[in-house]
Amino acid sequence: MASGGALGAAILAACDSMGPRSAKPLLEFAERENEVLERSLFSHRSMDVPRGGALAAGQRFPAYFISDRVPVWDEATRGVWRLAVGGMVRTPLSLTLADLSSLPRVGYRLDHFCVEGWTAVATRTGVRLADLARLAGVQAGAHYVDFESFDENYHESWDIESAMHPQTLVVYAQDGHYLNSAWGAPARVYSPVKLGYKNTKYLTRIMFLPRRTGGYWSDKGYEWYGGV
Amino acid sequence: MKKRHHPVVRITHWINVVALTIMVGSGLRIFNAYPAFARRGETFCCYPFERKPIPASLTFGGWLAGARNWHFAMMWVLVVNGLVYLGFVYTHGEWRDLVPRRGVVRDAWEMVRFYVTARKDHPRQGKHNALQRMVYFSFPILGALAVITGIAIWKPVQLAFLTHLLGGYVWARYWHFVVMLLLVVLTFGHIFMVFAVDPYSMVSMVTGTYKEQWSPEERNARPFVHLLPAHQPAGAGTTPSSTPPPAA
Repeated sequence: MASGGALGAAILAACDSMGPRSAKPLLEFAERENEVLERSLFSHRSMDVPRGGALAAGQRFPAYFISDRVPVWDEATRGVWRLAVGGMVRTPLSLTLADLSSLPRVGYRLDHFCVEGWTAVATRTGVRLADLARLAGVQAGAHYVDFESFDENYHESWDIESAMHPQTLVVYAQDGHYLNSAWGAPARVYSPVKLGYKNTKYLTRIMFLPRRTGGYWSDKGYEWYGGV
Repeated sequence: MKKRHHPVVRITHWINVVALTIMVGSGLRIFNAYPAFARRGETFCCYPFERKPIPASLTFGGWLAGARNWHFAMMWVLVVNGLVYLGFVYTHGEWRDLVPRRGVVRDAWEMVRFYVTARKDHPRQGKHNALQRMVYFSFPILGALAVITGIAIWKPVQLAFLTHLLGGYVWARYWHFVVMLLLVVLTFGHIFMVFAVDPYSMVSMVTGTYKEQWSPEERNARPFVHLLPAHQPAGAGTTPSSTPPPAA
């Protein structure tokens, strides 16, 4: 009888179901505990190095956004694009693309890990987020960072440790060219320590905060930590 | 009467049924989000169904986020349950019935010959026949490989040394899929043989009760043949065996 029950549960468990709603607290518990483990596994010394023979995705790099059409910054109505850096900082910043381009530049050939399961290689060039944070004078109590965008209400917040990883960049160029609109122009955050959906494109503001603020996909059910 | 399977073995077995079903179902839903292996901008050599999704009825989780939540929660049940089982059979001695012995390949071949009727009588066996030994020994190995390849694709940067060992993210994901396929094929084989050769083993895996006259060796049982106990093979005495009866 016990075996029949288990088999029955097993059969019902498949068939494209979302599972019993009563399991939700357990799933949320698992996500919280997994985050503790993931944070302990995280190190600033872990670097992403794409496999030697891997080809860059180039033009085949996918273009994902949540607006109906590719988000394009309209200078005529919104003025010159600026990236705001604020929150728990001594000196809030407001940087144009020219400002960003003139800051110390870093480029890495990196893997992109999409939550869907695909990867793509691209060279990402920009300013190290840790350098921007230092420039703005981030304060001690800022444990989280929120990345806001002009792609509808898309935003994602991170733990500050991942934001300060040496490979976390405010990217304005990909594969040697300034970003185009399909890939997040004028600037996006990118780090190979986070899944793609955590890496907000079409940036408007980076906020250093004492508490986490969720995120577009995180609020819908994807893990908030989203680390690789 | 001595139980055929210790309660720990029985309990971990059924927990595994549920855990594996959810891991495979949710894993297939995760796979369906990108049912291919190639890196963007490349092709992949070794999967004939690249970009073809798995049928939704075989998946669990409803959508990618749901599937991931189940997968990353149930993985703990699978691992803890697996470690309890392995720790128990090692310390309690059941491993002796499961580890392959010298001649296991020859014995397994004799079992195959018997099942395809190339041989009249059931080879002598202990608790498990040689085919079972090989399969039950493989299950924990495949389980461990599934976990290791899974961890490699879960943390390809923080545990880059592991992912690198498996050939990188793309290949680690492929091996994770291949190991799953092997597990599924062996599991279906196991379930088929349970029903077709020794349905009494189901009772033994729930209550532990088993009678020797139920055993496939006593019944000279092949798939769907001699399912009922107390069968006497035509013209023979009592126990079928490869040794001839004593001379009259």
